[in-house]
Amino acid sequence: MPKHIVRLLALIAIIATIALFAKSFFRADSFYQYGHYRGNAVAEIASKIPKLQGSASCQSCHKEVYEQWTTGIHRKATKDNQIQGVVYKYGPGCEVCHTGPAGNHPAKTPMPLSIEDKITTITHLNPQLHVANIPGRKLLLSPDDMRGVCLNCHEKMVGRPDEQKQIDLDTHSGKELCVKCHNPHSPKINFAAMQTVNNGDAEAGKKLATTICASCHGAEGKSITPAFPNLAGQHADFMVDSINAFKAGARKSDMMSGIAATLSDADARNVAAYFSRANCTVTGGDKAKAELGKAKAANCAACHGAKGLRGNGAPGISGGPMWPNLAGQNAEYLANALKMFQDGTRNHAVMTTLAKALTAEDIDQLAAYFASVSCK
Amino acid sequence: MKPLISEETVTTLKTKAEPALTRRNFLGLLGKGVAMAGAVIGAGRAVSSESVGVHEVVGAKRAFQQNDEQYAESVRNPPKIPNYNWNDRQWAMGVDTDRCIGCLRCMEACKMENSVQMDANHYRTWVERYVYLEGSNNAIVDSQTDPKNIENVGGSETKFRFDNRYKNVKVDKAFFVPKLCNQCEHPSCVQVCPTGATFKAKDGPVLIDTTYCIGCQYCVQACPYGARSFNEARGTAEKCNWCYHRITKGLNPACVEVCPTGTRIFGDRSDPQSPVSLFIRNNHVQVLKPEMGNAPNVFYKGTDKEVV
Repeated sequence: MPKHIVRLLALIAIIATIALFAKSFFRADSFYQYGHYRGNAVAEIASKIPKLQGSASCQSCHKEVYEQWTTGIHRKATKDNQIQGVVYKYGPGCEVCHTGPAGNHPAKTPMPLSIEDKITTITHLNPQLHVANIPGRKLLLSPDDMRGVCLNCHEKMVGRPDEQKQIDLDTHSGKELCVKCHNPHSPKINFAAMQTVNNGDAEAGKKLATTICASCHGAEGKSITPAFPNLAGQHADFMVDSINAFKAGARKSDMMSGIAATLSDADARNVAAYFSRANCTVTGGDKAKAELGKAKAANCAACHGAKGLRGNGAPGISGGPMWPNLAGQNAEYLANALKMFQDGTRNHAVMTTLAKALTAEDIDQLAAYFASVSCK
Repeated sequence: MKPLISEETVTTLKTKAEPALTRRNFLGLLGKGVAMAGAVIGAGRAVSSESVGVHEVVGAKRAFQQNDEQYAESVRNPPKIPNYNWNDRQWAMGVDTDRCIGCLRCMEACKMENSVQMDANHYRTWVERYVYLEGSNNAIVDSQTDPKNIENVGGSETKFRFDNRYKNVKVDKAFFVPKLCNQCEHPSCVQVCPTGATFKAKDGPVLIDTTYCIGCQYCVQACPYGARSFNEARGTAEKCNWCYHRITKGLNPACVEVCPTGTRIFGDRSDPQSPVSLFIRNNHVQVLKPEMGNAPNVFYKGTDKEVV
């Protein structure tokens, strides 16, 4: 055999030996155990820790809402194991809306849409406190986002089966938030037990307004002095809430506490309906201060801007009917309100915290800014 | 009405065909003989392969590309998963598209559970919307990756929604179809994987061993269902494995767990009373792209001609 062939064969043999050795050395022991793969990989993949924990895991701490959920339509879909409507077997469990696996909770992060992370640090003066009112950075939802949680499943949309309850936004609620009427944990409305939605009679309200309110707030809702709030164009819901707060003593005022006590629920709704329809006017604030205040108003926009967190909505027009419009208000009144939040004479879950972070200068400038923006 | 061929013609045809062994008849007989011989040989092979599995388990079957020895090993010595034996299970999923509302909770839950990249273009499971406009015979298909749908949630990369674009249009029919890896009996992706990083587990799911995946993405191209994607952050292929870490602990996969309408049904096919066995038994189900020969394990009810 020629020498060069022998050398070539020897080289091939050496390479083959190295390759075989390398294969036996580098190959995992469990490779080819069950097939052309590493047999140990199966148990490794299976050993990952599940993150979603299921609704039952929420029960131990959140007894009250869990109870609401189990007895409500979101769960009752499975009553007696009978399929009712399109929802069956599970119904939407906790982790469907509170996305963010319970496995991360409560140790690391609060569940989205939840309020419990702040419960130890704020005083709940208002039992109607809503998640959107909590200044937890990621939890603060704009009105659009809040509706979005419900509409994600319930917006009327082609392709959804008829059995699914679907909402036509244009006719169903207007700008109202879903939670105004529906408890998200048990959304079916018990009409008998529910407070009537604000449907006050503006005509009846006018009589009261001109006799009782006009001496301070003006017959048209424009106050006689900048220390009193303008009511023209204010959200009716907010005004009813305020009157109720004066009645209950949650808010205090020398004048209003007494007057509110004389108003019935129907009176409050009627008056609110009347003033909410009155034309607002901009009272204006110091221009130089307003310019400075504009730069500081970003924190306010989530609730007091027309588009909420989406930004760029008209400033001073609140995103939801339970929050006051600031546009068209008197600068002096706005500044006083913020100061009252600061010193604790007025309390609100969100505003108290926010106001305490402001300096006297900030308050001055913010009040001037909101008094000068368009109220239409 | 007159029959196409009269009775007389039929009788004449019969009498003509009867006599003698023509060349045509002979070939026919020959063919039958070959077929029978083949059947006998085939049966013999089947018998011999069955006799190999010494510890034969009722209902158990060979996984894709598993030889006799490996099959015997997987029966005798299953992977060490606490309180779980993969020989007892044959997982399958049912999808009832009549129930799907397109809320995409499944996709979001899947991303949370499996740490999938959070933008709309990376996913292990997804939902498609099929819309037939009035008078149209072709569906318009979109999913959460559609630019308009992404724009609808303000360009957010952590929220996934369908927009309401057909609100004011006349639509003949429309429906949502959830999609995911079909965990095929004959998975194309496993066939092309050069490193043995992806494989068919004996209890059904096709799994990925991320430590062996080199990120060549052959499998992504091989999958006829587009169920695989590439996880750039990790440099490996990404796909649904029916939450193998959950189902081996007696939990449902994340998407099944959160589905608010019961569109997704999961269970063990070797248990005739499991939800998925009942679903398959009680409904007319079909699989996607049966012509590919992949034999999927996700069974759809209520899909349409254009759903592939």
